[in-house]
Amino acid sequence: MKTLNRIASLIFLEAIILCLIASFRLINLQSTVTLLIFNILFVSLIFQLNGSVLKKIFMLTAGNIIGLFWNLIFYYFSLAGYDYFGVAFNAFYTLIYPILNLMWIVPFWSLSLGFLPKQQEAIRQAKD
Amino acid sequence: MIIEILNLIFIFFTSVITIYLIRHYVFTLTVLRRSKTNKASNTNPNLSYEPTVSILIPAHNEENVIGKLLDKMTQLSYPKNKLEVIMVDDASSDNTGKIAEEYTKLYKFIKVLHRDSRIGGKGKASALNAGFKHSTGEIVLCFDADYLPHSDIVIKLVEKFVDPNVGAVQGRPVVLNEPHNMVTRLIALERIGGYRVDQEARDVLGLIPQFGGTVGGFRRSILESLGGFDESMLTEDTDLTFQVYLAGYKIRYVGDAECYEEAVDTWKAYWRQRHRWARGHMQVCFKHAFNVLRSKKMKLKEKIDGLLILHIYFMPILTLLSFFTGSLLILNGSSIAGALWFTVPVSFYSFVGNYAPFFEVGVGAYLDGRRRIQWLTPLLIFAFLYNMLICTKAFFDVLAGKLVGSTKSDWEKTEHSGNGNRYI
Repeated sequence: MKTLNRIASLIFLEAIILCLIASFRLINLQSTVTLLIFNILFVSLIFQLNGSVLKKIFMLTAGNIIGLFWNLIFYYFSLAGYDYFGVAFNAFYTLIYPILNLMWIVPFWSLSLGFLPKQQEAIRQAKD
Repeated sequence: MIIEILNLIFIFFTSVITIYLIRHYVFTLTVLRRSKTNKASNTNPNLSYEPTVSILIPAHNEENVIGKLLDKMTQLSYPKNKLEVIMVDDASSDNTGKIAEEYTKLYKFIKVLHRDSRIGGKGKASALNAGFKHSTGEIVLCFDADYLPHSDIVIKLVEKFVDPNVGAVQGRPVVLNEPHNMVTRLIALERIGGYRVDQEARDVLGLIPQFGGTVGGFRRSILESLGGFDESMLTEDTDLTFQVYLAGYKIRYVGDAECYEEAVDTWKAYWRQRHRWARGHMQVCFKHAFNVLRSKKMKLKEKIDGLLILHIYFMPILTLLSFFTGSLLILNGSSIAGALWFTVPVSFYSFVGNYAPFFEVGVGAYLDGRRRIQWLTPLLIFAFLYNMLICTKAFFDVLAGKLVGSTKSDWEKTEHSGNGNRYI
């Protein structure tokens, strides 16, 4: 079981790295930085909470995939906007870009916490 | 030239926002590390420190809630011969005084101080001062009329005063009527971020836990030396916090001294309450900011934290200004503004009373063993936008007050319907 968990963790980690590379190659540096900030926050805070590491890595991977596709969709949206409205749209997109990203980061953050075992439950289990 | 100046202003604004974000990140990490050591209770059962205690309850037209609180006072486990409860019936026009009188007949340690509209009705600080003059306890605790404490709360709060350097303590308010509606749920979330993470981290890190004016108390000798509460302040609690630190004492936060409160349940009441807090906090900032900087009794980390606390209600205004400055610069093609812009929307997902960002609030809710309430974190943005308006108005009101030189104080009372009692 331990070996299986390790293999699964490695696959998830690989997926996260691929998401970061893909965001840089397919989208732009901004999206990679956004994913990196999300990863740093997630690893430094949520990884300290209760629950198995595998579950947390799975959630982190899910977050990276959502973030990658979210950014990809809005990247193409910005290209289309640029075609229609010209340079002014780029400035507008720069303004709304972080807000759009927070629209997935904040809900994903709050949902992730809900998937972890409760603090009290963990304390009770430790006592037992 | 104008663009360069705006760039500098924007860099300054975003730097301030970043300092707050880093501060709260450190707070969250601190509380997470502490939770691993599982310090569930701070109470020392072997400690037999039992000083005389006076509990002050300022009340102005609180007939809906005062009976429940006095009931709870009769159930306190602290020795009754060392306890006195002074309910200040401050110019109430309803049955608050009569209800309290009934309790004085049954319990010797409960006393009522009636103040008619000629001498009373001048605000909470004035009522507290009146109660304080009549009190005799070495330690003085304060409770608002809508609060419902646990029976062991006095023991938990008082034991911190064993340390002679402790000038005041603060317990933890928990929202009683949380399921009532969206307003109460968001306030509950705000309280969790503010107390479960913020106050606890400040206590652990030796910074400045705030005295919140209720579910807390102070050492009698300190308030006497300070000459009582400053009645010109709308938030006499924040004022006292800084007075305590400037006098060389510290405040301790007692997370397990929980007390239930009835949160406001309409956006209108929320506006009224927050407007008072924002105005009061700004008054205190103008009063103490330079004193904190010059203080020889405060440590450097206390000074830094103190200044950050004092400016918290200016942050929504600063965020609003950053939003407009940043937008203008980005539309003008400024690359610096483009790079720093992300800090502005992040702060939209914060609470105002403590500027706690979404990650701190979420972790606080988790540590509290809550599951569903943290799903409301994305709605923080609406509360923050609302608070931007509140704080901006409060700022102009404070400025107007400064220009006119008004020091008039009055009860800016939060209406308590007593609906919270349904959730006991």
